Amino acid sequence: MGNKAGIFPRRRRRRAFPLIAVLSVVPLLLGWHWAKAGWRDWHYNYPATPYGYSQIINRFGQPCNANASAVWMTWIASNNGYPYTFRFHRKLGGYPTQMVTGKGGASTNLDNDVYGHIQNNHLYGYTKSGIWGYLCRYIGGTTKWSTHAFGIAIDISASYEPQGRCYSTVNKYFAYVFKNHGWRWGLDFCDPMHFQYAFGY
Amino acid sequence: MKRITATAAGLVIGIIASLALQATIGRTAPRPQSYGPPIGPVMSTDTGASELLLVVVGGIYPTRADAEAANDQMPFGDLAGYYVVPVAQFQGFKEQVGTPGDFALVSVFRTELGAQEFVTFAQSLGYPATILPDRVRSLGGPYAGLGQEADPNGFGPLTHPIPESLP
Repeated sequence: MGNKAGIFPRRRRRRAFPLIAVLSVVPLLLGWHWAKAGWRDWHYNYPATPYGYSQIINRFGQPCNANASAVWMTWIASNNGYPYTFRFHRKLGGYPTQMVTGKGGASTNLDNDVYGHIQNNHLYGYTKSGIWGYLCRYIGGTTKWSTHAFGIAIDISASYEPQGRCYSTVNKYFAYVFKNHGWRWGLDFCDPMHFQYAFGY
Repeated sequence: MKRITATAAGLVIGIIASLALQATIGRTAPRPQSYGPPIGPVMSTDTGASELLLVVVGGIYPTRADAEAANDQMPFGDLAGYYVVPVAQFQGFKEQVGTPGDFALVSVFRTELGAQEFVTFAQSLGYPATILPDRVRSLGGPYAGLGQEADPNGFGPLTHPIPESLP
């Protein structure tokens, strides 16, 4: 009883110091981590993911229309450091947030939420070279419009995830982020580099 | 007593059967969709016959087989890339490139913006892409990629001649 001081005995208090220090520092570190670049997951104004060609047209307009390429972002590939700048539909991003300067877009989907998750979950290292979005092109070997022509598709890590292969090597680590934000992963049809904001097409 | 036992046994069997059924359904992975063409309209193969077009060239080869082999080495993901065509289907093509071969990898456009966007894309993949300095006249022939560019009016793809493409 004699060496008791306050709630804890002195010896126990000495042992408790590291624990108290850790408990004090961890929230600060977490706060710093999540506030990096001022990022917040907004989930603001997402359009419903369309099913089939008619819904794509109704929701996003004709292929190659001006809105399909209205918003841009730059994504640096982790393996070669090349900054890929690509465009996408204004309904899928470009809304001003803490991380994104206003680009005339209507939602926070791709450039703030998806990209922010990939950065903050330390998944950036899996996004490799070969990244593109809007392109006014048909699907290879056909004269049918690709989802890229609507600005609702993005290819990532093309150099690591060739089209026609039914498994994934790097995109599998962050595909869940896209799926959680309304996107479909092309691995469903053996195109693991491809993510599109549409089903049934 | 017998009725209670029978009811209890029935309940137990029913619960076990439904759990087994749910487990079977839950463990059956959904069958992956086979890779096939999407449901959407097939666009017409616009050749722009008699129009003056911009040509992006990815290479010129002596034979069709050589050109096809080179094209196979330049994948554009799921997107349409270059088209293999005889150079003779464009009036003014040979005058600009000489005579290195009879077949070329090309994609043709009506607007400079469309051609430049494709060049940027091809070059980002590390592929050769050059816009011929002068427009060439299309004499028809195999499809060479026309129609895959935005209409300057901003409402969709460009599927008609523009003043610059008319002779």
